[in-house]
Amino acid sequence: MKLECQERTRHDCLRILDGRDTALEPLRQSELVVVGGTGFVGTWIAEMVAALNDGYQFGIRLSLLSRSTDQFSNRLPHLANRADINLIKADVRQLGQFPMNADWVIHAAANPDVRTHASNPLDTASVIVEGTMSVMRTAERLGRLKKLLYLSSGLVCGVQPASEKGLAENAQGAHAPDASFIYPNAKRFAETICSAARAQSRIPVLVARPFSFIGPYQSLDTPWAQTTFLSDALRGHQIRVLGDGQVVRSYLYGSDAAYWFLRILTAGPSGDVVNVGSPVGITLQDLAKEVAINFESSPEIMFNTAPRSAGRSAQLLPDTTHAENEYGLSVFTPLEEAIKLTVQWHRMMQSNQARI
Amino acid sequence: MEHSQIIRISDPTLRDGNHAVGHQLSAEHIAAYCKAADAAGVSIVEVGHGNGLGASSLQLGESKTPDHIALATARENLGKSKLGIHVIPGFATIERDLKPALALGVDVVRVASHCSEADICERHIDFSRSQGIEVWGCLMMSHMISPTLLLEQARKMESYGAEGVVFMDSSGHFIPEDVRLRVETLVNGLGIAVGFHAHNNLGLAIANSIAAAAAGATLLDGCARGFGAGAGNAQLEVLVAVLERLGYSSGVNLYKMLDAADLAAKNLIKEIPSITSVSVVSGMAGVFSGFIKPVARIAKEFNVDPRDVFFELGRRKIVAGQEDIILEVAKELAERATKGNL
Repeated sequence: MKLECQERTRHDCLRILDGRDTALEPLRQSELVVVGGTGFVGTWIAEMVAALNDGYQFGIRLSLLSRSTDQFSNRLPHLANRADINLIKADVRQLGQFPMNADWVIHAAANPDVRTHASNPLDTASVIVEGTMSVMRTAERLGRLKKLLYLSSGLVCGVQPASEKGLAENAQGAHAPDASFIYPNAKRFAETICSAARAQSRIPVLVARPFSFIGPYQSLDTPWAQTTFLSDALRGHQIRVLGDGQVVRSYLYGSDAAYWFLRILTAGPSGDVVNVGSPVGITLQDLAKEVAINFESSPEIMFNTAPRSAGRSAQLLPDTTHAENEYGLSVFTPLEEAIKLTVQWHRMMQSNQARI
Repeated sequence: MEHSQIIRISDPTLRDGNHAVGHQLSAEHIAAYCKAADAAGVSIVEVGHGNGLGASSLQLGESKTPDHIALATARENLGKSKLGIHVIPGFATIERDLKPALALGVDVVRVASHCSEADICERHIDFSRSQGIEVWGCLMMSHMISPTLLLEQARKMESYGAEGVVFMDSSGHFIPEDVRLRVETLVNGLGIAVGFHAHNNLGLAIANSIAAAAAGATLLDGCARGFGAGAGNAQLEVLVAVLERLGYSSGVNLYKMLDAADLAAKNLIKEIPSITSVSVVSGMAGVFSGFIKPVARIAKEFNVDPRDVFFELGRRKIVAGQEDIILEVAKELAERATKGNL
């Protein structure tokens, strides 16, 4: 990856850590394992750990377990080749090789791509449910384990009532047996497995519920609103908004999210559940406009005429009061800045690819 | 009667109509009809082989006009109307067919599969979407699965990036209540637009299309003079008139649409689609309307009743692309008849 892209992500991490590094002191000289560690979250955690080690001499040893370590090595040699980062190729369901000296474990293994959920619902459920069972069985054998953080999903909270500003951690999604709900249903069951592991095996596990993110390392191939708008604009196309553009979502920048996860891991009590995301909502219409203003060509914004059905949630926002009050967390990178940084990063990546 | 609902019209006269003439529409036909449909204000004009892009073959029938000429001709003669294509993965590949088609200026890609096989559309939808093209999913032969299962398949297309899903009554089997149930299920379960494509085997294409609109569909297909496979499609100029009568807004100029239909009748259509005895049976049996001509031909060859062939094809749940089974069925029926006579 081009040096200026690396510098950008490093700067993003150092910007967040400035004045906040002491809150992550428990990580000093420890061993951290991220299962499912080569996706968006894992990559940002690796960036944050690298920044902590280089900038603050934390001496963290990080292991990233994933089925996709080869692609990670090819894509991100500046992380893969570091002496303090260890890549372990493994399927979460068969954790034969696991660093047994792990102090901290983050279980992030799942594919959030809705296309995979639709085409391979059984595989989606298998990775989440059997994977979580496998992680808990492995955690039973970790003598030094201080805490295990399970990354669930904001989707387990169900539909946000119009009267609520955001979904709190105690919100319950309605039972929906349809295959199209395989991802939130599997995540709910995985949370239950975490609870059972805590009750039966005294594993110190807590749950983070990620909502939506934005930033470098998020594949523009994914069919989410923010990635689609960015992809359309970067390709010089019109920005196509599905529906009337009045759906409300929120986005947390990658380096913010990495800091949130590490903070919750180290500071949270076993059994806690914490929403991770931005509470600041934006309509997709305004999101498209925010993306468009970063381009001199001012891409046209097109709306699909589909009426929004009554059963669909108009907004999905986390209530982050718990994260703010108990963990001192907030949005460090405002959305306008997050979009700008993301556009710049992708442009740098594009110019790099053009030269190659 | 007043509706605030806007109905978008997609016109596959130059695609579905190709079924009715053995895929023999010429570049001149395409140019003339595109001009007329564009003048009428039709939103999308779909062009190509009856089975869509890349489907010209010995088995399915060879196109008189190759895809690239058909699309270039249409592009040249469409102004405001969007140029659409029907794409069935397998017949159309991304590299060989879709990329060149998009390069020729296609605006709307409709990626179609059998109603229970939406998975095969993922790459084609994904590719089209990544190119900034408006992309819809189409579920063909939709009478063969329940509304619940149809929604499951439509949700797959939505997850792949489709901006809307059209369900097709490919065999003209539905009655309005069937259509209403499906549209309501899709509208309530999807976050994207819902469209409907009718066939007229039971004389209900217009009634079914109106039922779809009333239930929340926002895109309707229709062909000039109903020019399409089998008993034909919803007759577009009639559909436009009825929508206008009901107060829906389609954006189509009725007089100019009537002119376009007259032009199609004069220049394109050798035989105006009608509801023959065989097409009624095709609709009842739930067999693809495009089978009417090959069934009639093969049944005659084997001296069997084409209606028996249709019911047997329906019993076997044969779908488009399995045309070779018609021969097998006709042969078996002929053998059975011979044995019965012994």
